Amino acid sequence: MRSNRVGWLMLAPTIAILGIFGIVPFLYVLYVAFHQWNPFGANPYMIYNGADNFRRLVFDNEFLTSIAFTLKFAFFAVVSEVILGYLLAQLFMREFPGRGLFRTIHTLPLIVAPIVVGSVWRLMTTPSIGIIPYLLKSWFGYDLNIGRDATMAFALTVIMDIWHWTPLVTLTLLAALVSLPKEPFEQAQIDGANRWQIFWHVTLPMIRPAILATVFIRLMDALRTVDEVWMLTGGGPGAATRYLGLHIWKIVFPKTDYGYGSATSIIVLYLTLVMCWLLYVALVARRDQKRPS
Amino acid sequence: MKHELRMGLAALAVGLMTSVMPAKADFWSDAGAKYKGVTLHGVTESTPPSNYIKDVLAPAFEKATGIKVEIETTSWDQMYDKAIKDMEAKTGIYDMVYIEQDIIYAYLARDFLVDITKSLKDDPSLKAPEYDETHFTTFANYFKNADGDLFGIPMEAFIKLYLYRTDLFNDPAIKEAFKKETGKDLVPAKTHEEYTQIAEFFTKWGKDHNLELWGTTAQAHTGHPASWYEFFESIAPTFGVYNWGIDASKNYSASVANGGTMNSDKAKAALKYWLHLRDIAPPESPASTWTEVGTTFAAGRAAQGLVYGENAAWIAADAEKSKVVGNVGVALPPLAPGVMEDAEAGKGYIGYYDGGAFGLPVTSKNKEAALLFLQYIGQDSVQGDWAVAAPRITNTATYDDPKVIEMDKKLNGYYTMLKNDGKLFAGAPPYPFHAQVREATAPIFYKILLGEVSSDDGLDQMAAAAEAELKNLGYRK
Repeated sequence: MRSNRVGWLMLAPTIAILGIFGIVPFLYVLYVAFHQWNPFGANPYMIYNGADNFRRLVFDNEFLTSIAFTLKFAFFAVVSEVILGYLLAQLFMREFPGRGLFRTIHTLPLIVAPIVVGSVWRLMTTPSIGIIPYLLKSWFGYDLNIGRDATMAFALTVIMDIWHWTPLVTLTLLAALVSLPKEPFEQAQIDGANRWQIFWHVTLPMIRPAILATVFIRLMDALRTVDEVWMLTGGGPGAATRYLGLHIWKIVFPKTDYGYGSATSIIVLYLTLVMCWLLYVALVARRDQKRPS
Repeated sequence: MKHELRMGLAALAVGLMTSVMPAKADFWSDAGAKYKGVTLHGVTESTPPSNYIKDVLAPAFEKATGIKVEIETTSWDQMYDKAIKDMEAKTGIYDMVYIEQDIIYAYLARDFLVDITKSLKDDPSLKAPEYDETHFTTFANYFKNADGDLFGIPMEAFIKLYLYRTDLFNDPAIKEAFKKETGKDLVPAKTHEEYTQIAEFFTKWGKDHNLELWGTTAQAHTGHPASWYEFFESIAPTFGVYNWGIDASKNYSASVANGGTMNSDKAKAALKYWLHLRDIAPPESPASTWTEVGTTFAAGRAAQGLVYGENAAWIAADAEKSKVVGNVGVALPPLAPGVMEDAEAGKGYIGYYDGGAFGLPVTSKNKEAALLFLQYIGQDSVQGDWAVAAPRITNTATYDDPKVIEMDKKLNGYYTMLKNDGKLFAGAPPYPFHAQVREATAPIFYKILLGEVSSDDGLDQMAAAAEAELKNLGYRK
């Protein structure tokens, strides 16, 4: 009984912070989502409109397009980051000259603010003045123009995200790899397993929790990305890179449609939770169920 | 005796002057003494006039009053984001906010701003002797309410003008080639046809001579409202489509069917004209906002273009940033028949008169100190150097400042044009739903730019979207 009180006391600051900065704003957003509220409308006050905002979402082509683009973006970015991050982590497990320096340089993008990353990539990709269009034109005769080419703009946002966040994946997986015991690997070698079999049957299952945690973090980040993409493409050309975070930002800030923006946020939160849950079920729960007791 | 009397009177005059002058000169330190230790926070867009406030006027004010001023200069989007959030949530972080002319109506509708005229009347001890509202140009009228009270101190005002390269337009070989090809003299265009002809000529000239030169600029970003603005504020009016094609007197109609002009034949012709120019402009145009257009012109990549006046000075005079120093001419934009007559009669306008003011949010926690700062930047005495550093004129006396007259020569008469023809230009229409209608229609506009929808169909869709948004906002019944 006494230990319970101490436990709650220790948890109290965290619960208070979570409540003030997490639960209360969430409840407020939920409340606003059931209202029509545009402070620059003829009636600038909140008007209760039931589930109208949610109903509107179902028929909103821009929103549906934005979901499709965001899922595509998240898929390509997260999968690439995990694969690349794992390969780099394996590389850093080995001894080679300049490993420390390379590891430091490789980690540097993590400390750059997303808005700066977006600005730098914009400078590098602006037609006529950016180094990337210049090199592509000089070497391959390819005209890179992210103001016109939707596919290329999409690809560049994915590449920028990979450049920025792969180091995080590398560091997480490196920590997981370093902490693995040597015995299972030695045992597998003695049993005659090849490299692929060792990776598939030994390494992967052992670092699965780390991979999962990384995928969850990166997936949630990718689904709400705003600043970098805003700086690089502004959501364009057209709506090709208007991902959900940016879509919501445009509804809430320039358009000041707070009710509809809140409803969109709630749905996006729900989508994120569902996706993470599906991923969890697919990768963890089902496997645990299959495991013999 | 006479001599002694004269001496006596002179001594009296000197005595009076010395007793009066320090009182005037010390107004700032006296008024600021009460607020010593206060730090004022302002947020503004990172533009040359705003940077001058941050780098020159704020430190000078701090020295004169002891009141610290921190000015945050950021991007256009961030500036609005921060200011509106602060005023909406009533957090009181900012004591001064930049008010672009087009947002003032929304801010006034929401009672975000302090009535500066009334505040100074209510507390005369705060009124600076050198500050006078009547000294502002007519641009200040955009920041007044129906009673004529001022809600923002004008700090930048400029027109979006037609810049052209004098070195190219005066080059004998080019002139001869143009004459040979078109049968006309190469002079700044007065009509859209002439402008197009010149643009096509220079784009071809650049290609034929392997030069990084194109015939025109185009602010045609495919994902940023800059392109939307270029069309509705700078191109459409030159075809006779005013106020974005929305008629407030006809139940806020945008479509021709309901009495608007957003999808009128004139608007459709204007869009086709501009899209053609975009196609013969430098390749960076689909990724260009107002900033990149200035940079493109300064890099010598365009023979002519519509450029915001705030960039005109550095393009024409700053050799560290511009490759076309001394080679920049200014002219009025090309017009369709009847548009100039409309503008002169006050029924229309020929282009965009842009600018902004510094306002005082009602949520500020340091209103009195902020009022002092706003008056400081509104004085005639600080305007001359400011106008030279950044091409903006907000006080009528500034036109006669010797430094400004000298600068005007370097800019080939930009200030003279602002003074004489500024009345032909207009700011954004007085809509409190500015950003809302823009954001409702811009996605369709981007589709037009990408060719996903034809310009005619796109304008029809935009008119319908504008009306739907206005209905949703409660303005359209």
